[in-house]
Amino acid sequence: MEREKVLTVRDLSITFTTTAGPVHAIRGVNLDLYRGETLAIVGESGSGKSVTVKAAMGILAKNGKVDSGTIEYTYHHDDGTPETVDILKMKKKDIRRHINGKRIAMIFQDPMTSLDPTMTIGKQIMEGMIWHYKTPKEEAYKKAVSLLKEVGITDAEARMGNYPHQLSGGMRQRVVIAIALACDPELLICDEPTTALDVTIQAKILELIQRIQKERRISVIYITHDLGVVAKVADFVNVMYAGRIVETGTINEIYYEPAHPYTWGLLSAMPDLDTNDHRLYTIPGSPPNLLHPVTGDAFAPRNIYALKIDDRAEPPMFKITDTHYAATWLLDPRAPKVEMPAELKARIQRMKKEAK
Amino acid sequence: MSEKTPLLQVKNLKQYFKVSNNYTVRAVDGVTFDIYPGETYGLVGESGSGKSTIGRSIIRLYNPTEGQIIFDGTDISGKLDKKATAALRTQMQMIFQDPMACLNPRKKVGEIIGEGLDIHHLYANRKERQDKIDRILAKVGLAPEHADRYPHQFSGGQRQRVGIARALIMNPKLIIADECISALDVSIQAQVVNLMKDIQEETGTAYLFIAHDLSMVKYISDRIGVLHLGHLLETGTTEEIFAHPVHPYTRSLLSAIPSPNPVVEKSRVAESYDYATSGLDYNAGSLHQLEGTHQVWGTDEDVARWLAK
Ligand SMILES: Nc1ncnc2c1ncn2[C@@H]1O[C@H](COP(=O)(O)OP(=O)(O)OP(=O)(O)O)[C@@H](O)[C@H]1O
Ligand SMILES: Nc1ncnc2c1ncn2[C@@H]1O[C@H](COP(=O)(O)OP(=O)(O)OP(=O)(O)O)[C@@H](O)[C@H]1O
Ligand code: SF4
Ligand SMILES: [Mg+2]
Ligand SMILES: [Mg+2]
Repeated sequence: MEREKVLTVRDLSITFTTTAGPVHAIRGVNLDLYRGETLAIVGESGSGKSVTVKAAMGILAKNGKVDSGTIEYTYHHDDGTPETVDILKMKKKDIRRHINGKRIAMIFQDPMTSLDPTMTIGKQIMEGMIWHYKTPKEEAYKKAVSLLKEVGITDAEARMGNYPHQLSGGMRQRVVIAIALACDPELLICDEPTTALDVTIQAKILELIQRIQKERRISVIYITHDLGVVAKVADFVNVMYAGRIVETGTINEIYYEPAHPYTWGLLSAMPDLDTNDHRLYTIPGSPPNLLHPVTGDAFAPRNIYALKIDDRAEPPMFKITDTHYAATWLLDPRAPKVEMPAELKARIQRMKKEAK
Repeated sequence: MSEKTPLLQVKNLKQYFKVSNNYTVRAVDGVTFDIYPGETYGLVGESGSGKSTIGRSIIRLYNPTEGQIIFDGTDISGKLDKKATAALRTQMQMIFQDPMACLNPRKKVGEIIGEGLDIHHLYANRKERQDKIDRILAKVGLAPEHADRYPHQFSGGQRQRVGIARALIMNPKLIIADECISALDVSIQAQVVNLMKDIQEETGTAYLFIAHDLSMVKYISDRIGVLHLGHLLETGTTEEIFAHPVHPYTRSLLSAIPSPNPVVEKSRVAESYDYATSGLDYNAGSLHQLEGTHQVWGTDEDVARWLAK
């Protein structure tokens, strides 16, 4: 089947003005998402995951500025004709009226920032249906109750009248998920959707999203640091570091054949239930301060495999397969051959064996 | 068990919330456990099971409905006098699940972190105060210039580290860490967890570590308590719980841990557990002592049946 493009981000750069100077949070991001597929974005805190997807929803903090780039979004009118728009060129008002909530819905990382503390959660779930689709009140109420049940909230009818502060952290997060699903979006962006949820409910929510995804062929972007969740849901993975995508590939390519030293570090830092190590592996150092311009490979100072060239030039994306690319000079034909750390290699071997 | 006296004893704690005239939430319904000095007690359980409420009751953000909380030899479950309040506010710190909810948006991060020092006069001069703040920022992986930013100018994970810095700077005997690493990415989770372990070794702080990420809980905790619907169903050392889970809820929880192995994970099904159809009644039964420190809640028949498996 022909893959249909939904979201195409090209060369996105975003800078924030702060009292200490400009912060170059996003430095040339490219992303591709196709209909019905699931993309995961992983990467350290502050690497720019949330800012990237918020830009795709036309949301940018007041002190933020888009320096360059396009975010093309393709959707279908009610009669089926496709239309492609550049979100960055649209008016805020039009985005709110035609795109946000209705076609693209986002589950935000901080549940409280997207919930209104003065409004019952029932009202908040119904609001979008009434505003975007003029759904009659009773119908909206019924759908809201059934959504609450679907996200695993017991006593759903009684909870409809609760205010956000009367719910536990994970219940609030599930309300936010119910709000996002209420308007039947075509593209669902989940920013750490299950971080406040325990594993059993997490599994339930992920399965719910997967089911809806299959039924309606919607596209999903997951931002999460939980590599177990990524393993479960994602078709493709983008690894982000210091405002750039440094490796992209299919889920199996990233987990079984990682090529970027930063990805090696991320995979090595996962706690391994099969071992009883006393210290977790951590990537040495900390991410670069994006107040200062980056020269060379942003990861070089933390990379024991760094080459001389890494201090001077930022690596381009090297192609490994049609779907797998990584931005590391180690893949340059002239570079010395470097293998991933032995512990990681052993672990991947174990994973592959288990997978057979 | 050792002869050591517990730092914290929670006895039959109940915390109810009256939502309306005919709807009361029994968030915590008779929970008993101890935390020893310098140890890490992990509290796990599904969303809404009462984990945060237990933490909040212990630090006395609520008045417990019933039960006893003894901290460092003092009963803190009733009315608190001035001295007890001051001791509680310095010796016990909480790192919250919602980083923003407790960070004043109009204050710079440096002031937020220094607040506890100011209130309890824990420095001789400005310089000492500044040094303490810089040191703690560095410890949690933030730069000194971050002190001049406001909370909303941080990423989610960076904000969480501010919350951790704020608790650590007081050098407390007990830190209640409510999902304090859930919002962090794996590599920083690892840094923070290693950091918490280092600080524990250095200062002997005990942690009540509330989390749902069982792989991290396994890694950091000495002992674990499994909570469901306000009841503590099983407790024991990490080894006892992970190697020999007895309660069906614990078993389903352990079986739901996602594995970072795509091929395995995409085909895995977790053991299901539903209280409504399980035939169990959490209000009936008692705590049964198994081997070592391992305890499980249930009726005699239930426990015998689970053990026979
Ligand atoms: N309004 C703002 N003003 C200044 N800097 C900002 C602002 N919003 C974000 N940043 C900075 O931009 C960078 C990227 O932030 P972003 O929220 O995208 O991170 P993230 O990858 O989502 O991290 P996390 O996993 O912690 O949520 C960070 O360094 C952050 O401090
Ligand atoms: N102030 C309150 N008023 C009414 N009900 C409350 C209040 N605080 C908590 N509850 C209820 O108590 C129960 C337990 O909540 P708690 O926040 O302790 O759960 P939790 O185990 O921390 O869950 P999570 O993992 O989702 O954070 C929930 O049913 C919640 O709705
Ligand atoms: S609860 Fe939370 S984390 Fe959440 S925004 Fe509030 S405020 Fe932030
Ligand atoms: Mg984020
Ligand atoms: Mg909680």
